[in-house]
Amino acid sequence: MKNYFLIILLIFTISLGFISCEEFLEVETPDYKLDSKAVFSDDQTAQSALNGLFNQLFNTSYANGGSQSVSFLSALSVDNFTLTSTTQDVIEFHQNQISPDNNYNLTLWSGSYNIIYQANALLNGIDNNNSLSQGLKDKIEGSSKFIRGLTYFYLVKLYGDVPLILSTNYEENALVSRNSKDKILYQILNDLEDAALLLEEEYPNGDRTRPNYFTVQALLAKVHLHLKNWDNAEFYSSKVIDATSYYDLLNDLDEVFLANSKEAIWQISPIGWGNSFTHTRDGNLLTKTPTSNNPVVLSENFLEVFNDSLDIRYQNWISPFFTETDTLYFPNKYKIQYDASGGEIAEYSMVMRLAEQYLIRAEVRARLGNLTGSIQDINKIKTRAGLSQIDKFQNELTKETLLEEILLERRRELFTEWGHRWFDLQRYGRSEILQNKENSNWTSTSNLLPIPSEEREKNPNLSQNPGY
Amino acid sequence: MFHLITRKIMKNNYSRLKWVALIILGGIIFFLSKAATAATTTSLSLQQQEVSGIVKDQSGLPIPGVTVTVKNTNRGTITNLDGEYNITAPADGTLVFSYIGFKTAEIPVDNNEEISVLLEEDVASLGEVKINAGYYNTTERERTGNISRVTAEEIELQPLTSPLQALQGRVAGLEVVDQSGVPGAAPTIRIRGQNSLRNSQNDNGNLPLYIVDGMPINSGPVNSINQFTSGIGTDPLSGLNISNIKSIEILKDADATAIYGSRGANGVILITTKGGSFSGKSDRIEARVYSGVSRVANFVNLLETPRYLEVRRQAFENDGVEPTVSNAKDLLLWDTDRNTNWQEVLFGRSAPTFNANLNYAGGGEFTSFNIGASYFKQGSVFPGDYSFEKTTANFALNHQSQNRKFRLNLSVNYGLNDNSLFSSSNFVRTALNLSPNAPRLYNEDGNLNWEDSSWNNPLAALEGEGEAKTNSLVSNLGLQYDLTKSLTFKANLGYNLLNSKENILLPIETYDPAIWNRVSNRSQHSFVNRISWIAEPQFHYKKNKGYHNIDALVGATFQENNNDNLVINGTGYSDKQLIGNLNAADAVSVNNDRKLVYKYQAMFARLGYNWNRTYFLNLTGRRDGSSRFSPENRYANFGAVGMAWIFTNNLFFSEKLPFLSFGKLRGSYGITGNDQIGDYRYLDTYESTPGPGGLYPTQLTNPSFTWETNKKIEGALELGFLKDRINLNLSWYRNRSSNQLVGYALPAITGFNTVEANLPATVQNTGVEIELSTLNLKTDQFKWRSSLNLTLPSNKLIRFDNIDQSSYANAYRVGKPLDLGILYQFNGIDPETGYFQVVDINQDGRNDFDDRTAIRNLGRKFFGGINNQINYKQFSLNFLFEFVKQKGSRYYNNVPGFLGNVNEESVNNSSEDGNTSLQRPTQSIFGFIAYNNANLSTYGITDASYIRLKTLSLGFQLPEKVTGFIPSSEVQLFVHAQNLFTLTNYDGLDPQNPGSLNLPPLQSITGGIQINF
Repeated sequence: MKNYFLIILLIFTISLGFISCEEFLEVETPDYKLDSKAVFSDDQTAQSALNGLFNQLFNTSYANGGSQSVSFLSALSVDNFTLTSTTQDVIEFHQNQISPDNNYNLTLWSGSYNIIYQANALLNGIDNNNSLSQGLKDKIEGSSKFIRGLTYFYLVKLYGDVPLILSTNYEENALVSRNSKDKILYQILNDLEDAALLLEEEYPNGDRTRPNYFTVQALLAKVHLHLKNWDNAEFYSSKVIDATSYYDLLNDLDEVFLANSKEAIWQISPIGWGNSFTHTRDGNLLTKTPTSNNPVVLSENFLEVFNDSLDIRYQNWISPFFTETDTLYFPNKYKIQYDASGGEIAEYSMVMRLAEQYLIRAEVRARLGNLTGSIQDINKIKTRAGLSQIDKFQNELTKETLLEEILLERRRELFTEWGHRWFDLQRYGRSEILQNKENSNWTSTSNLLPIPSEEREKNPNLSQNPGY
Repeated sequence: MFHLITRKIMKNNYSRLKWVALIILGGIIFFLSKAATAATTTSLSLQQQEVSGIVKDQSGLPIPGVTVTVKNTNRGTITNLDGEYNITAPADGTLVFSYIGFKTAEIPVDNNEEISVLLEEDVASLGEVKINAGYYNTTERERTGNISRVTAEEIELQPLTSPLQALQGRVAGLEVVDQSGVPGAAPTIRIRGQNSLRNSQNDNGNLPLYIVDGMPINSGPVNSINQFTSGIGTDPLSGLNISNIKSIEILKDADATAIYGSRGANGVILITTKGGSFSGKSDRIEARVYSGVSRVANFVNLLETPRYLEVRRQAFENDGVEPTVSNAKDLLLWDTDRNTNWQEVLFGRSAPTFNANLNYAGGGEFTSFNIGASYFKQGSVFPGDYSFEKTTANFALNHQSQNRKFRLNLSVNYGLNDNSLFSSSNFVRTALNLSPNAPRLYNEDGNLNWEDSSWNNPLAALEGEGEAKTNSLVSNLGLQYDLTKSLTFKANLGYNLLNSKENILLPIETYDPAIWNRVSNRSQHSFVNRISWIAEPQFHYKKNKGYHNIDALVGATFQENNNDNLVINGTGYSDKQLIGNLNAADAVSVNNDRKLVYKYQAMFARLGYNWNRTYFLNLTGRRDGSSRFSPENRYANFGAVGMAWIFTNNLFFSEKLPFLSFGKLRGSYGITGNDQIGDYRYLDTYESTPGPGGLYPTQLTNPSFTWETNKKIEGALELGFLKDRINLNLSWYRNRSSNQLVGYALPAITGFNTVEANLPATVQNTGVEIELSTLNLKTDQFKWRSSLNLTLPSNKLIRFDNIDQSSYANAYRVGKPLDLGILYQFNGIDPETGYFQVVDINQDGRNDFDDRTAIRNLGRKFFGGINNQINYKQFSLNFLFEFVKQKGSRYYNNVPGFLGNVNEESVNNSSEDGNTSLQRPTQSIFGFIAYNNANLSTYGITDASYIRLKTLSLGFQLPEKVTGFIPSSEVQLFVHAQNLFTLTNYDGLDPQNPGSLNLPPLQSITGGIQINF
């Protein structure tokens, strides 16, 4: 009897062994996930991974024009807005006293590095890869390097020295310290020059949400402007301005921010929402409708720079909102505040456009002493805005007054776009005028944002910027 | 218009109620009339005679104090010290012998003058109650582990959707917290506290294992997209018919749970449904109908218009700000004479509740079956014609072969939940938020009033529609064959299906007409499909030889779970009529499309040994493999040892401690695990971006993570006094969960914030559980039982290296419980501003996390329940008090002075000048920040203890005389109340879930009738 039991137990155990456990537990990669090796094994999925990068730019705070984007937070930091928001994180930006614990700052920082990770992962995927076509590999490399260069450019402008991350290995990257600004800028220029060689002149499918050769040139012009390499800046901006078959200043200001407008050099599409909404985040945040609560209104200080009320920009890009007691003014570059109607996407979020290139060239030409050339460029912008042109034979017109005029023109033209005024004031050495803003706590160390404290807690090798 | 609608709906409710009431009333009248006629025809017994005798127990010793009565009379006596009695009884009467701890005996007099009786000990109260331990059975008397048992009678009358909600207050060590009173919403279930640091809805490592008739059920709440249950999820067990549950066993310690290995860390809940029994008795039908109403028991004390407006005006005056239409629409745009109790309007209705249940059991010696169906319907407390319906069907079949060597049991439970309660708006939050003078809901023309776009009309949500249908099927087939007298082969095969479909239809009418040009008709659809199967071959071996008793088993598990989730949005329907038909949508987008597969394989064994039913040893072990880990880390071993000693079996104790009828010492130690993490996390993969046509990496991957382990130790003492009239169980436990599988915090420069990894962090749960049950009184006609359970839990994070540099830095503190508030130190009122202030601990001039140094434990200090069961003649009364001692977040929704209503407690004395303890009304952002900080300070924490009359049931068994016309029938009328009253100092909606703005659990009163024949 006892033996009987043992035999059965033995058979049972052996039979269990045959139903191999290892095999039973194998699960296939589910269909909503794709193994990273598989992604880069054929052109179609690799192209999808590249599309994913552009889709995600709209979902990653720093680039999307929303409340934690470079556009909004840098505009808060200057004197264009009066605050109506009660959110502590927003108030801190507006008062130029940002806590290292500020969550919006952390999101801005984290989102930037998430995009850099995606770009690095793409570069990693095509490295030593023989399964993909050369054309696609060039496109992936060029696009990824452009995005990486762009992201580092804003990081370095906002934070100064930052860690330079070029791989996806988190174990190595977790504890790196900050690299010098120069090293970052050197990398940016390298990336952009590579991208310029790899990207074609034509926009893929005519879609200005994908960078082309000129997009890279436009960014190079901007980087060199900040580096005070005036000659280079003029060279690169001229390339874009001369590409007249691609770009033009639009006479109807209401058409500038439309999807694929001819003034657009590079845009980000709300397709990243995934079809549920078709409005931009810029429009949603700043445009006023009777039912919306907006975090900011345009400040009096800003409205005063439109001393000439004939300025078409004042008419078309600013909209008054009448309450019983007073009139409030809101940015109105994007016309669509909210659209869940499921139609076509009418507006894209603008990152770079031709007007900026004219203003870059006007400035560097002035700085190089070419006042005539400079006036030509700035008059393009003035004419389009319905303003009278600057007379180049005007007596008291010096390089300094011209540069002043360009600074003003940039403020009028580029407000609420990608922090132009915040960076312009720094380039011109004028940031201290922000002290005059209401509730301002601006000091000389306010030009750089704090490294988020949460980052420094996780990576003790990250130093803090002075003043925090 | 609104009034019209309410009336119409109410009329519906009343007509249904009327119908049910009529049936009940009719039943009563019918039976009473029968009783009346029966009474007149009863013949009187004529012949009386003396009867005497001795009452003894099974060992032949006389029992003194036995009550001897003549059945159906008031005549009675008690036996003397020698067990003798003497009584006068009719010759055709019946004597009833009853004594505590013994089975009651009924002996017909039958002209006998001497009747001596042997009373059987009633061991069923403790000893022989069979307890389901999962793979094997044990008894209350002989168990080595900690297993609590709740039986059908305790839960079947509760008008709830989830069987686990019915356990509130009944089991020591078990916390059941309702997340929402909306039917179907998943409650939070914790057995002996929180073990895992991961505690979010989508990544929760704290769910117990649910097993229904041997089939493991995915215990994760089912994803839901509607406003009432998104973020909570619906209960995967809500498809079960509560009335069809025979018993629920809660497995708590290592000895009981280790046989479930990697899934036992958080305890196991075993649900056994009613099956057939080989009784040979005649067929039996049970029918029950009840009906009643449910409503929200408690509202927040919100301000009425005059006081509200006073506070608002005072705020502007205090701040020196002139009200404008943009910051004071309630003062300038809205009618200041209106006053609406929004709580009453938006969630104050009475919801009719109805339940019907029919069960038929029958069969013979070799085959028996149990078949039944039920229907449950609950209306809603919200405006609109919403309801929750649940229809269930169950079937169980038991069969054995002629030689009884082969046995088969099959159980099938099917449930269909149809919840039309669904909406795009959460009415509770809206009601708590709206100003009391907010505009009227409807214009004179009957259309929704939008008051020139100055508010969001809450009833616009009623223009939309929603429905959730959940099908669930739990089926299990058990086969066994006795190979020899000692050895049995068993196979357990289970199949489980849960299929949930939610639709939300949102026409543009749900929006303000002012924005109709920017929105479109749209719909949301969510599909959840969970399918799992299990196969468990086992061998059981049982052998008794002399004093040695062996009970052993060995088995294997193969299990596969498939979990599909699909969320689709359709937009741009050209017509309201077409909404929901995705073909008619302009654009269809897929929000989520996931098919998850989880496979699980294990071998397990148990060896139970006892010597003379006095010394017990129980060894259990399991080797588990789970597909949630990478191939290198798939397997792990778990096991436990449990021991018990019934010391009252030793002569020494039984002689020295005669008052002690039962005494047992037991203890256990073992290791269980936890594999509750998402599937596929070890793979380095890309996923689809929300935008079309894109792929992106969503996480960093670490292929080397593995199980969380949970070491449990327990010691317990179980005592029975006075022939088990009083039973006391004391247990002490300590569970330590280590190797915590959490997102290991990384700086964002790596691209992401976390990577899945095992951290050297340890969570400890210790506690004492006390269970006391007493039989206070027992006579022939009166019986009173009480039971008390009390749990004193203590939870602590005992280790977490470098917590400061982790993403948990602001969530947990080493040495403190997991459920805690890390708070500012409250510092009263700033005399200059009149605002609340908190202490700036590091004196850096700002309030941030570094200043939050005050720690408050928000977990339960103690909790339990007191249950009383009183039977008097045909009456039975049962009531359960649940009590909880805890702290929680104060009610806070708006800052006094801002737009939006506040409770009276937050402004009461601020109208008096000078010394007040409350912040003055303000509408400035600085006041807002100050108030917010105060609520993140020690001020924001308040006592949220409560005592609640959880259930109260009163039953009346109609006398046999009345029901006698149907042979062997029983008829019971009953009234049941749920959450009848709550004693608490808490100022929010429900102290059970302090700080929550969800619908609280409802109060209900039901009445009905049960007929068995």
